[in-house]
Amino acid sequence: MEEFLQNYGFLLVTLVQQSLLAMSLYFPLSAGQLSLASPGFYALGGYVAAIMATADYFAPWRDALGWAIFPLEWLIAGLVSALLAFLVGVPALRLRGIYLALATIAFVEILRVVCLNLAITGGAIGIFGIPQLFESRWGYIWIFGPLLVITLIFSYRLDRSRVGRAFKAIREDELAAGAMGINPTHYKVLSFVIGAVLAGIVGAMSAPFLNTWNARQGTFDASISYLAYVLIGGGRSLWGPMLGAVLLASLPELLRPLKDARLIINGMVLVIASIYLPFGIAGALQRLKLSTLKRYASLRGGR
Amino acid sequence: MRRSVLVTLLLTLCAGAAYAEHVTAPIPVGIAVAQTSNVALFGQEQIIGAKIAEKYFNKSGVNGTPIKLVSQDTGGDEAGAINAFQNLINQEKVVGIVGPTLSQQAFSADPIANRLKVPVVGPSNTAKGIPQIGEYIGRVSAPVAKVAPFALKQALKQNPKIKKVAVLYAQNDAFSASETVTFQETVKSMKLEIVTLQKFMTTDTDFTTQATAVLGANVDLAIVSGLAADGGNLVKQLRQLGYKGIIIGGNGFNTANLFPVCGKNCDGILVAQAYSPEANNPVNKAFVDEYRRTYKKDPSQFSAQAFAAVQVFGEGLRRVEAATKKKITQLELSVVRTELNKALRSGSFVTPLGEISLDNEGEINQKTFYVSQIKMDANGKSGKFVIVK
Amino acid sequence: MDAVQFLQNLLNGISIGSVYAIFALGYTLVFSILGIINFAHGAVFTLGAYLTYSLAVGQFGIGGILADLQIPFQLSFPLSLLIGAILSGVAGVVVERCAFRPLRFRGADPLLALVSSLGVALVTVNVIQYLVGSEIYSFPSDVYGDIRPAFVLHFGEKLVVIRTVQIIIFAVSIVVLALLGYLISWTRIGKALRAVAENASTASLLGINVDRFILYTFFLSGFLGGMAGSLVGTSFGIAGPYFGVAYGLKGLAVIVMGGLGSIPGAVLGGMVIGLAEAFVPADYSAYKEAVAFAFLFVVLLVRPQGLLGRSQIQKV
Repeated sequence: MEEFLQNYGFLLVTLVQQSLLAMSLYFPLSAGQLSLASPGFYALGGYVAAIMATADYFAPWRDALGWAIFPLEWLIAGLVSALLAFLVGVPALRLRGIYLALATIAFVEILRVVCLNLAITGGAIGIFGIPQLFESRWGYIWIFGPLLVITLIFSYRLDRSRVGRAFKAIREDELAAGAMGINPTHYKVLSFVIGAVLAGIVGAMSAPFLNTWNARQGTFDASISYLAYVLIGGGRSLWGPMLGAVLLASLPELLRPLKDARLIINGMVLVIASIYLPFGIAGALQRLKLSTLKRYASLRGGR
Repeated sequence: MRRSVLVTLLLTLCAGAAYAEHVTAPIPVGIAVAQTSNVALFGQEQIIGAKIAEKYFNKSGVNGTPIKLVSQDTGGDEAGAINAFQNLINQEKVVGIVGPTLSQQAFSADPIANRLKVPVVGPSNTAKGIPQIGEYIGRVSAPVAKVAPFALKQALKQNPKIKKVAVLYAQNDAFSASETVTFQETVKSMKLEIVTLQKFMTTDTDFTTQATAVLGANVDLAIVSGLAADGGNLVKQLRQLGYKGIIIGGNGFNTANLFPVCGKNCDGILVAQAYSPEANNPVNKAFVDEYRRTYKKDPSQFSAQAFAAVQVFGEGLRRVEAATKKKITQLELSVVRTELNKALRSGSFVTPLGEISLDNEGEINQKTFYVSQIKMDANGKSGKFVIVK
Repeated sequence: MDAVQFLQNLLNGISIGSVYAIFALGYTLVFSILGIINFAHGAVFTLGAYLTYSLAVGQFGIGGILADLQIPFQLSFPLSLLIGAILSGVAGVVVERCAFRPLRFRGADPLLALVSSLGVALVTVNVIQYLVGSEIYSFPSDVYGDIRPAFVLHFGEKLVVIRTVQIIIFAVSIVVLALLGYLISWTRIGKALRAVAENASTASLLGINVDRFILYTFFLSGFLGGMAGSLVGTSFGIAGPYFGVAYGLKGLAVIVMGGLGSIPGAVLGGMVIGLAEAFVPADYSAYKEAVAFAFLFVVLLVRPQGLLGRSQIQKV
């Protein structure tokens, strides 16, 4: 077991981490909004944590707080992300359609260029030598794991709350939802901010996990991966994003022996899955369950 | 009597505690570089250099036992580097790792190898702070700041009337950004005037703005710190727009990849180098011959440094056998790793880079640096670096 | 900034802006008909550049499985550019067949088309890398024949310089734009295309074979993308299989700027962003890459429908 964790601990925690990032896309998507900003907030959160953990300015804080600096990093990363998400979200979400996707692509790119050029973010090299919370990579499961559980519970409760129903109403028909007295912009921004906060916190947790942080953490490529997780796993089910993340994030590792060809296969999986699994794997499983139930029922009922 | 019991007990304990893993023959040496993604360009050259080193070294091997390169693709990202390292360490049971390609990846993956006490030699990590990651981390890629003054002296020799200088650098490339500081200090210490300082990005393709500024400043010398793609493009556009003065390129120009980028316009660039294919030592001769035979051109610094990294591991293993008086394959893996790390830091190695050694921190001490001038062939497609003295 | 510097920036800006324009047109054409953004457009751009390079130079580098291959024939640059672009158009059609048509026939969520087009882009880029490696490919300077590389205009002490490539880029882009304008405004095909863009189901009731016109659109889009890639490639070199990604993203900013789905808007947006980048002062050139995206935000805040867009579009 120990050997197994030594080999695969990092990969397993990565899967949990990627699941969380997929969830950060799931929230805006549950209100029908496509956001590609998760890598941006992830990068931002990571920078917040990395700077707080290494910059001289924060040295007295670190001395005073000890390990408690870590939760504080997560908190601040979440707050900064919320603020920025609000600023990006409001202009883009007044509009209907694909504008949020485009605005978030722009956000990610601007953030990347800015971080490359600032001294505090370490320029191209980034920030390194980030103090560790755990000795082994597997240890990080003790922060990412609980966060995933909390996120899933939160999301489960949200689905059944007034806010969750408003999200769903907007996803199905924004105009109709507006006519029923739901303020679409308000809820769309809320869904976007929730996702951003999650991504920011995951970033803050990931900075020590990866030992280093730099501008290459938040790229358009990552946006694509997260989107693929959600849509292939199934964007309409709570478990979908997780399923997609686990599957797709482990794929390149499983395909490791194929070397160069693995990214080609990764791309093909995206195409094939979007054609044959329109509601994602979770959706397909659900339909399978429904149809077996129906068949069962018709047998019992006797025609 | 009691003592022998104790010894037997200890021995059995060790055997029991263990999967006391022994090193297998051929001895696995890991190489984790970027074979995919947009840094694959460098990774591919590193693999070539490492493979030639493997072949070269195995003519005699570690006193007869060959080494075997095990490669794992890191891709271009940090997580990929960690995965590749863990794979090599835990599954392939390598004695040491050559890699990764990027300094950013090194900051991510090296601490892991260090914690597991596996020696790492960085073939191309030039950022500040790499050897300081830990006692198991070293590198063979030198920061060539020292060579900058020589390149400038050479330029002044070619044209003693130089007064005005333009300095350009890629500000998102850590190496170029630090190299340019040395260049600028040297320019000032030689009583020359920097009339324009231009920045660009390694991802830029359009250098019209910078080139126009240099032309407008009417300079006699332009010093460019960048990588092959951007630097070459910059030179090309500078020359096309009619710049006639001397150009000094930083160490990033030290690759044949530059030639297709600026073509005929590469001609005459003075380059500060940490490696030259013309370096006169038997190992480099063997390396260059083998490389030319297969690829019909001169090896790049990336290939040479990867060669050196593999070679250093190989010779390190020989030193381990000499020190322990045992075959590597009779030793436990963890012992070999620790001993190998010590061996890497003791004594010097004659590599294609010339004579090098690693200090206690793992930082490289390199004896020779070069200044070369680029000579392009008449067709403008290929060229070579000619050492100037 | 003095007048001479202004002129210099202006010339630089319209040259690169004209390429942005034809590239963004490829996005816009598809968007106007399907209401979907084709994320494989950046990959087609890259493909076009490599195709033109292969036809015109015919020599491959050290990486990839085509390493050291020499194509026995070489075409003149104009012919290579044209054939490269036509082949890119065919690639556009293939993208439609693989990534869009199957989804359309299933009436799938438009978001899925986004993912499948990203998938096709990923495959394309990596196949290119597999074939030709990831090194830089640069067109030799004599590729246009024996013409001088640059023109220098003197204004007293100051000078304005233009690379010949910049002039070629501008001229080719203008010709392509003019032909496209003619095609769309004056021919039967163009009218039918506009009808499909206006309302596909009505158009099909009128006897227009919508699927065929969608194919035409993708051909045109691929043609424009490949042409833009080749032009950028000749000017700056092909910086590896990933070099289209940045242009692909910038193109999105261009079409939002001009108004999603608006053809004149794409042209105007391309010009505006090209010029804006050219006028970034040299000291801040590191931020040049962010200019297009900053504009995108400004447009969203001030005029969400874009410079020339109609009121808000309901499609996704």
